[in-house]
Amino acid sequence: MAEHEKIEYQDLKAGQEFPSAAFQVDTATVADYLKAVEEDNVIYRNTGLVPPMALAALALKALINTISMPPGTIHVSQEFEFIAAVNTRDTLTSQAKVSRVQERGKLHLMTVDISVVNQEQKPVLAGKTSFVLPVQ
Amino acid sequence: MSTSVELKEGASLPTIKKNIVQDNIDRYAKASGDFNPIHIDADYARKTPLGGTVAHGMLILAYSSQMMTNAFGHDWLSGGRLNVRFRAPARPGDVITISGTVRRIEKAEGYQMIDCDVLCSNQNDEPVITGDARVKVGDNENRG
Repeated sequence: MAEHEKIEYQDLKAGQEFPSAAFQVDTATVADYLKAVEEDNVIYRNTGLVPPMALAALALKALINTISMPPGTIHVSQEFEFIAAVNTRDTLTSQAKVSRVQERGKLHLMTVDISVVNQEQKPVLAGKTSFVLPVQ
Repeated sequence: MSTSVELKEGASLPTIKKNIVQDNIDRYAKASGDFNPIHIDADYARKTPLGGTVAHGMLILAYSSQMMTNAFGHDWLSGGRLNVRFRAPARPGDVITISGTVRRIEKAEGYQMIDCDVLCSNQNDEPVITGDARVKVGDNENRG
Protein backbone atom coordinates (compact mmCIF):
# COMPACT_ATOMS: atom_id res chain seq x y z
CA MET A 1 0.00 0.00 0.00
CA ALA A 2 1.26 3.46 -0.81
CA GLU A 3 2.41 5.51 2.16
CA HIS A 4 0.88 8.97 2.46
CA GLU A 5 1.56 11.85 4.79
CA LYS A 6 -0.84 11.60 7.73
CA ILE A 7 -3.72 14.04 7.95
CA GLU A 8 -4.41 15.58 11.37
CA TYR A 9 -7.90 14.54 12.37
CA GLN A 10 -8.77 18.13 13.41
CA ASP A 11 -8.33 19.14 9.78
CA LEU A 12 -10.88 16.65 8.49
CA LYS A 13 -14.21 17.89 7.21
CA ALA A 14 -17.33 16.04 6.16
CA GLY A 15 -17.08 15.17 2.48
CA GLN A 16 -13.29 14.97 2.52
CA GLU A 17 -11.93 12.04 0.57
CA PHE A 18 -8.75 10.13 1.37
CA PRO A 19 -6.28 8.99 -1.27
CA SER A 20 -7.27 5.60 -2.64
CA ALA A 21 -5.02 2.66 -1.80
CA ALA A 22 -4.41 -0.38 -4.00
CA PHE A 23 -3.60 -3.68 -2.35
CA GLN A 24 -3.76 -7.45 -2.61
CA VAL A 25 -4.43 -9.95 0.13
CA ASP A 26 -1.95 -12.72 -0.54
CA THR A 27 -2.07 -16.28 0.76
CA ALA A 28 0.55 -15.57 3.47
CA THR A 29 -1.53 -12.65 4.79
CA VAL A 30 -4.65 -14.83 4.82
CA ALA A 31 -2.74 -17.56 6.69
CA ASP A 32 -1.44 -15.04 9.27
CA TYR A 33 -4.93 -13.63 9.70
CA LEU A 34 -6.54 -17.06 10.15
CA LYS A 35 -3.93 -17.93 12.77
CA ALA A 36 -4.49 -14.67 14.62
CA VAL A 37 -8.25 -15.16 14.80
CA GLU A 38 -7.98 -18.95 15.29
CA GLU A 39 -10.27 -19.67 12.37
CA ASP A 40 -10.04 -23.05 10.64
CA ASN A 41 -13.20 -23.10 8.52
CA VAL A 42 -12.68 -25.41 5.51
CA ILE A 43 -14.12 -22.67 3.33
CA TYR A 44 -10.65 -21.07 3.34
CA ARG A 45 -8.62 -24.27 2.90
CA ASN A 46 -6.80 -24.16 -0.47
CA THR A 47 -9.61 -22.12 -2.00
CA GLY A 48 -7.91 -18.74 -2.24
CA LEU A 49 -10.92 -17.14 -0.58
CA VAL A 50 -10.16 -14.17 1.64
CA PRO A 51 -12.02 -13.93 4.97
CA PRO A 52 -14.21 -10.84 4.69
CA MET A 53 -12.97 -9.44 7.99
CA ALA A 54 -9.36 -9.76 6.79
CA LEU A 55 -10.29 -7.60 3.85
CA ALA A 56 -12.12 -5.22 6.19
CA ALA A 57 -9.09 -4.99 8.49
CA LEU A 58 -6.77 -4.16 5.60
CA ALA A 59 -9.17 -1.54 4.27
CA LEU A 60 -9.23 0.00 7.76
CA LYS A 61 -5.44 -0.17 7.89
CA ALA A 62 -5.31 2.04 4.81
CA LEU A 63 -7.51 4.53 6.64
CA ILE A 64 -5.67 4.37 9.97
CA ASN A 65 -2.36 4.91 8.18
CA THR A 66 -3.77 8.06 6.64
CA ILE A 67 -5.12 9.83 9.73
CA SER A 68 -3.14 11.01 12.71
CA MET A 69 -5.37 10.07 15.63
CA PRO A 70 -4.69 11.13 19.22
CA PRO A 71 -4.25 8.73 22.16
CA GLY A 72 -7.66 8.01 23.65
CA THR A 73 -9.34 7.50 20.28
CA ILE A 74 -12.08 4.89 20.59
CA HIS A 75 -13.55 2.83 17.77
CA VAL A 76 -17.22 2.98 18.78
CA SER A 77 -19.17 1.38 15.98
CA GLN A 78 -18.72 -0.43 12.73
CA GLU A 79 -20.83 -1.43 9.78
CA PHE A 80 -19.70 -3.74 6.99
CA GLU A 81 -21.40 -5.12 3.94
CA PHE A 82 -19.62 -8.02 2.25
CA ILE A 83 -20.87 -7.56 -1.28
CA ALA A 84 -18.84 -10.13 -3.20
CA ALA A 85 -16.35 -12.82 -2.26
CA VAL A 86 -12.68 -11.87 -2.67
CA ASN A 87 -9.87 -14.13 -3.81
CA THR A 88 -6.13 -13.85 -3.20
CA ARG A 89 -5.62 -13.25 -6.94
CA ASP A 90 -7.79 -10.10 -6.86
CA THR A 91 -6.31 -6.62 -6.95
CA LEU A 92 -8.27 -4.33 -4.68
CA THR A 93 -8.63 -0.61 -4.25
CA SER A 94 -9.99 0.97 -1.10
CA GLN A 95 -11.50 4.40 -0.88
CA ALA A 96 -12.63 6.35 2.16
CA LYS A 97 -14.54 9.54 2.73
CA VAL A 98 -15.44 11.43 5.90
CA SER A 99 -19.21 11.37 6.14
CA ARG A 100 -19.65 13.10 9.50
CA VAL A 101 -17.66 15.17 11.97
CA GLN A 102 -19.42 16.34 15.08
CA GLU A 103 -18.09 18.02 18.21
CA ARG A 104 -19.73 17.08 21.49
CA GLY A 105 -18.11 18.80 24.44
CA LYS A 106 -14.58 17.52 24.73
CA LEU A 107 -15.08 14.82 22.14
CA HIS A 108 -15.25 14.62 18.38
CA LEU A 109 -17.39 12.00 16.69
CA MET A 110 -16.10 11.11 13.25
CA THR A 111 -17.64 8.71 10.78
CA VAL A 112 -15.80 7.50 7.69
CA ASP A 113 -17.35 5.59 4.80
CA ILE A 114 -15.12 2.93 3.30
CA SER A 115 -15.49 1.05 0.04
CA VAL A 116 -13.37 -1.54 -1.72
CA VAL A 117 -13.60 -2.50 -5.38
CA ASN A 118 -11.81 -5.28 -7.27
CA GLN A 119 -9.83 -5.09 -10.50
CA GLU A 120 -13.09 -5.01 -12.46
CA GLN A 121 -14.23 -2.01 -10.41
CA LYS A 122 -16.90 -4.23 -8.92
CA PRO A 123 -17.72 -3.34 -5.28
CA VAL A 124 -16.73 -6.08 -2.87
CA LEU A 125 -16.95 -4.33 0.51
CA ALA A 126 -18.65 -1.27 1.94
CA GLY A 127 -18.40 -0.03 5.48
CA LYS A 128 -18.93 2.78 7.92
CA THR A 129 -16.48 3.33 10.76
CA SER A 130 -17.14 5.65 13.70
CA PHE A 131 -14.53 6.93 16.12
CA VAL A 132 -14.75 9.13 19.18
CA LEU A 133 -11.65 11.29 19.54
CA PRO A 134 -10.69 13.61 22.40
CA VAL A 135 -10.55 17.28 21.41
CA GLN A 136 -6.96 18.48 21.79
CA MET B 1 -27.62 -22.87 0.13
CA SER B 2 -24.96 -23.82 2.69
CA THR B 3 -26.34 -23.02 6.12
CA SER B 4 -25.68 -25.10 9.20
CA VAL B 5 -28.48 -23.33 11.04
CA GLU B 6 -32.11 -24.24 11.29
CA LEU B 7 -33.69 -21.38 9.37
CA LYS B 8 -36.37 -20.53 11.84
CA GLU B 9 -37.01 -17.33 13.76
CA GLY B 10 -35.64 -17.67 17.27
CA ALA B 11 -33.04 -20.30 16.26
CA SER B 12 -29.60 -19.96 17.85
CA LEU B 13 -26.46 -19.59 15.78
CA PRO B 14 -23.54 -21.89 16.62
CA THR B 15 -21.89 -20.26 19.64
CA ILE B 16 -18.12 -19.98 19.81
CA LYS B 17 -15.83 -19.17 22.72
CA LYS B 18 -12.46 -17.48 22.48
CA ASN B 19 -9.77 -17.01 25.09
CA ILE B 20 -8.19 -13.60 24.71
CA VAL B 21 -4.44 -13.97 24.87
CA GLN B 22 -1.77 -11.38 24.18
CA ASP B 23 -0.07 -13.61 21.59
CA ASN B 24 -3.19 -13.54 19.41
CA ILE B 25 -3.56 -9.78 19.87
CA ASP B 26 0.06 -9.39 18.73
CA ARG B 27 -0.59 -11.71 15.76
CA TYR B 28 -3.68 -9.73 14.85
CA ALA B 29 -1.70 -6.48 14.99
CA LYS B 30 0.78 -7.93 12.48
CA ALA B 31 -1.92 -9.38 10.22
CA SER B 32 -4.04 -6.22 10.22
CA GLY B 33 -1.27 -3.61 10.41
CA ASP B 34 -2.90 -1.97 13.45
CA PHE B 35 0.02 -1.44 15.83
CA ASN B 36 -1.71 1.01 18.19
CA PRO B 37 0.30 0.62 21.43
CA ILE B 38 -2.88 0.26 23.49
CA HIS B 39 -3.10 -3.25 22.00
CA ILE B 40 0.51 -4.39 22.05
CA ASP B 41 2.62 -2.31 24.45
CA ALA B 42 1.99 -3.36 28.06
CA ASP B 43 4.07 -0.53 29.56
CA TYR B 44 2.27 2.10 27.51
CA ALA B 45 -1.17 0.60 28.12
CA ARG B 46 -0.62 0.36 31.90
CA LYS B 47 -0.32 4.15 32.09
CA THR B 48 -3.61 4.78 30.25
CA PRO B 49 -7.11 4.83 31.81
CA LEU B 50 -7.59 1.28 30.47
CA GLY B 51 -4.80 0.08 32.77
CA GLY B 52 -3.49 -2.56 30.38
CA THR B 53 -3.60 -3.81 26.84
CA VAL B 54 -6.93 -4.50 25.17
CA ALA B 55 -7.79 -6.55 22.10
CA HIS B 56 -8.55 -4.77 18.86
CA GLY B 57 -12.30 -4.29 18.49
CA MET B 58 -11.88 -5.63 14.97
CA LEU B 59 -10.43 -8.87 16.37
CA ILE B 60 -13.56 -9.47 18.43
CA LEU B 61 -15.67 -8.49 15.44
CA ALA B 62 -13.74 -11.06 13.38
CA TYR B 63 -15.00 -13.70 15.81
CA SER B 64 -18.57 -12.58 15.07
CA SER B 65 -17.91 -12.94 11.36
CA GLN B 66 -16.43 -16.38 12.07
CA MET B 67 -19.67 -17.42 13.74
CA MET B 68 -21.65 -16.17 10.74
CA THR B 69 -19.33 -18.03 8.34
CA ASN B 70 -19.79 -21.20 10.38
CA ALA B 71 -23.54 -20.72 10.16
CA PHE B 72 -24.03 -19.51 6.59
CA GLY B 73 -20.87 -20.45 4.65
CA HIS B 74 -20.39 -18.82 1.25
CA ASP B 75 -23.59 -16.83 1.63
CA TRP B 76 -21.93 -14.82 4.40
CA LEU B 77 -18.86 -14.05 2.28
CA SER B 78 -20.89 -12.55 -0.54
CA GLY B 79 -24.05 -11.29 1.07
CA GLY B 80 -23.37 -10.59 4.73
CA ARG B 81 -23.83 -7.37 6.64
CA LEU B 82 -22.68 -6.48 10.15
CA ASN B 83 -23.72 -3.46 12.14
CA VAL B 84 -22.26 -3.34 15.65
CA ARG B 85 -21.31 -1.17 18.58
CA PHE B 86 -18.18 -1.76 20.62
CA ARG B 87 -19.45 -1.66 24.21
CA ALA B 88 -16.45 -2.61 26.33
CA PRO B 89 -12.85 -3.64 25.84
CA ALA B 90 -11.75 -7.27 25.81
CA ARG B 91 -8.57 -7.88 27.77
CA PRO B 92 -6.02 -10.67 27.89
CA GLY B 93 -7.44 -13.32 30.20
CA ASP B 94 -11.02 -12.68 29.18
CA VAL B 95 -13.16 -15.45 27.72
CA ILE B 96 -15.45 -14.11 25.04
CA THR B 97 -18.62 -15.93 24.03
CA ILE B 98 -19.93 -15.09 20.57
CA SER B 99 -23.58 -15.90 20.13
CA GLY B 100 -26.45 -15.03 17.85
CA THR B 101 -30.12 -15.57 17.24
CA VAL B 102 -32.20 -15.51 14.08
CA ARG B 103 -34.54 -12.57 14.63
CA ARG B 104 -36.43 -12.44 11.33
CA ILE B 105 -36.64 -14.28 8.04
CA GLU B 106 -37.86 -12.51 4.96
CA LYS B 107 -38.64 -14.75 2.01
CA ALA B 108 -38.19 -13.52 -1.54
CA GLU B 109 -38.02 -15.24 -4.92
CA GLY B 110 -34.80 -17.27 -5.04
CA TYR B 111 -33.43 -16.22 -1.69
CA GLN B 112 -34.16 -15.48 1.96
CA MET B 113 -32.98 -12.48 3.95
CA ILE B 114 -31.99 -13.54 7.46
CA ASP B 115 -31.69 -10.94 10.24
CA CYS B 116 -29.78 -11.97 13.34
CA ASP B 117 -28.92 -10.46 16.69
CA VAL B 118 -25.23 -10.77 17.51
CA LEU B 119 -23.67 -10.59 20.96
CA CYS B 120 -20.11 -10.95 22.19
CA SER B 121 -19.93 -11.04 25.96
CA ASN B 122 -17.19 -11.69 28.46
CA GLN B 123 -16.97 -14.18 31.33
CA ASN B 124 -18.92 -11.76 33.55
CA ASP B 125 -21.76 -11.62 31.00
CA GLU B 126 -20.85 -8.04 30.18
CA PRO B 127 -21.50 -7.14 26.53
CA VAL B 128 -18.35 -6.40 24.56
CA ILE B 129 -20.04 -6.11 21.16
CA THR B 130 -23.75 -5.87 20.42
CA GLY B 131 -25.38 -5.54 17.06
CA ASP B 132 -27.03 -7.25 14.20
CA ALA B 133 -26.14 -9.19 11.13
CA ARG B 134 -28.04 -9.73 7.91
CA VAL B 135 -27.34 -12.40 5.34
CA LYS B 136 -28.86 -13.14 1.98
CA VAL B 137 -29.15 -16.91 1.73
CA GLY B 138 -29.53 -18.76 -1.54
CA ASP B 139 -28.22 -16.12 -3.96
CA ASN B 140 -25.20 -17.46 -5.87
CA GLU B 141 -24.52 -14.39 -7.99
CA ASN B 142 -21.55 -12.97 -6.07
CA ARG B 143 -19.67 -16.08 -5.04
CA GLY B 144 -15.92 -16.04 -5.66
